[in-house]
Amino acid sequence: MIEVRDVSRFYTRGVDVVHALERVTLTIPGGRFVALMGPSGSGKSTLLNLLAGLDRPDAGEVVVAGQALSALDEDGLAAWRARHVGFVFQFYNLLPVLTALENVELPLLLTPLPRAERRRRAEIALAAVGIPDRAHHRPQQLSGGEQQRAAIARAIVTDPDLIVADEPTGDLDAKSAVAILNLLKELNRAFEKTIVMVTHDHRAEPFVDLVLRLDKGVLVNGAGAPA
Amino acid sequence: MTWPRLVLRNLLRHPLRTLFTTLSIALSIFLVCAVLTLPGALAAIFERQSSNTRISVHHKAGLTYWLPYAFVRKVRSVPGVAAVNHYSWFGGIYDEPKNLFPNFAMDPETAAQVWPDYGIEPAALERFRKTRNGAVVGEQTMRKFDWRIGQEITLRGTIFPVDLTLEIVGVIPEASGNPVVLWFNRVYLEEAMEPRGGLRFVGMLWVRADRPEHVDRVMQTIADLFRNSEAEVAAETEQAFLTSWFSSFQGFIRVILAVGFLVVGAVVLIAANTSAMGVRERIPEIAVLKSLGFRRRPILLALMAESTLQASIGGVAGAAAAYGILGALRTAGKTGGGMPFLGPLANFQMSPQVAAEGVAIAVVVGLVAGAVPAWNGARLNVVEALRRLF
Repeated sequence: MIEVRDVSRFYTRGVDVVHALERVTLTIPGGRFVALMGPSGSGKSTLLNLLAGLDRPDAGEVVVAGQALSALDEDGLAAWRARHVGFVFQFYNLLPVLTALENVELPLLLTPLPRAERRRRAEIALAAVGIPDRAHHRPQQLSGGEQQRAAIARAIVTDPDLIVADEPTGDLDAKSAVAILNLLKELNRAFEKTIVMVTHDHRAEPFVDLVLRLDKGVLVNGAGAPA
Repeated sequence: MTWPRLVLRNLLRHPLRTLFTTLSIALSIFLVCAVLTLPGALAAIFERQSSNTRISVHHKAGLTYWLPYAFVRKVRSVPGVAAVNHYSWFGGIYDEPKNLFPNFAMDPETAAQVWPDYGIEPAALERFRKTRNGAVVGEQTMRKFDWRIGQEITLRGTIFPVDLTLEIVGVIPEASGNPVVLWFNRVYLEEAMEPRGGLRFVGMLWVRADRPEHVDRVMQTIADLFRNSEAEVAAETEQAFLTSWFSSFQGFIRVILAVGFLVVGAVVLIAANTSAMGVRERIPEIAVLKSLGFRRRPILLALMAESTLQASIGGVAGAAAAYGILGALRTAGKTGGGMPFLGPLANFQMSPQVAAEGVAIAVVVGLVAGAVPAWNGARLNVVEALRRLF
């Protein structure tokens, strides 16, 4: 379960203070597939970064699976992310010098698993996302959809509690976008992973359990939204 | 997937850039090794050329001042002196002015006693003693001018107003450590100078002590012998003499060393620039690694490992090349190899210690060059970097 309690986040841009999030409170039960939607600059990515432990709020508290993230220092947050969070980015962000399999194996370098076991789990993750035959291809040899599948495999290979996805369909054609949404839905359903996805893509709405809408840093609907 | 593989893959991301940077490091380490070899090589030359019982005696005011010839006899009578010879710099040139090389008038009778370590053939020394215009010549000079035993050569005097025609009767071997010198009989020069007022001076004396432990006492006795005379003398061991003779080169060697280290400094900047460029290009990847949970330290170490590995490869290549090339030059110099132009390079022996120093310098280059970019990469703010990314 994710709890966001009265969280605010400000940025200073020159002499201006930008209110990226203002007193946001919400609760996401575990195992849900949630979409964060809203116009550009509404605070979606800021909220996602806070949920994923990449950023810290100026006020309020974020608790994920019982862990108050504010209690962790930078190294503690890194270790927590490695164990509990999987990331999917809009532009896939696979390392171009590594094969798909090596990219998927990358987060497992942070675990004490032996090399053979790391390799085995990476192969399973690639099979789970449907591209076992592309294991030894470099990212530039893969299509956009395949790269995003490899990125999703990298996100799930450590068996995290939470997967955060920032515009995962933003760089894909319609067919690939739907395939990726299907894949995420399937992972959510089969493995009961909590997925929080930032998206502008309205085609995503039928795939998710809950849509949270943000506007100007304020939650305008969904769990915990002001009535 | 392993850490070393990740480092290696990143290093080979731009093969051409990596190759050129590695080559620039290799070249600089090659130069550094060659430069570091210089002082050691000179010391080795001096040591090889020096005897522990040979003493040089020259005018206290400097080598350009003459000593009375009578000093030879006086020194010969000093207790502990086994033999005395003398040098008078003739300064003759062969054929054309550029062919200037060390040639001395000396005493063939005691050459074997004063320089037994030179390994000159007894038959050659015998001919030297018996031939009035005989000369023995260093092996390198023989090769340089393509001379042969039995050949007559003419040296044009530059200090003395006479030209001397000499017959080459023997060779001073390369192994003597003094393979460029030419010796000829002083008596022949005295005869040539007789119509022009004669020759009653010598440039310097070479003394051989009977035992190594007598050297200090002999030097002291000789110095005392001529104290307050018309020409006070300085007596020193051959090694000290050669070292002070070459002391004028010390400044030059320091300049060469300084240039060598400036080259290293320039290469550090080149490598640091390349490293910084590499990190800048990979900011999105570093941000992704950090979001995946990679902490500062492994990222810092991985980035440092790249620059250090690259510099180490360059260092090993440069040191190995220097070792191989200087070794080949030395071999070529020993065997002749048709390369008389090598000069003192043919005597340069790069020690494994210098090679190790070269590699160590390369490792430091890698660490220094990689430190700032790696530090910046490791402390990258992941949210800021991701914002730039999207």
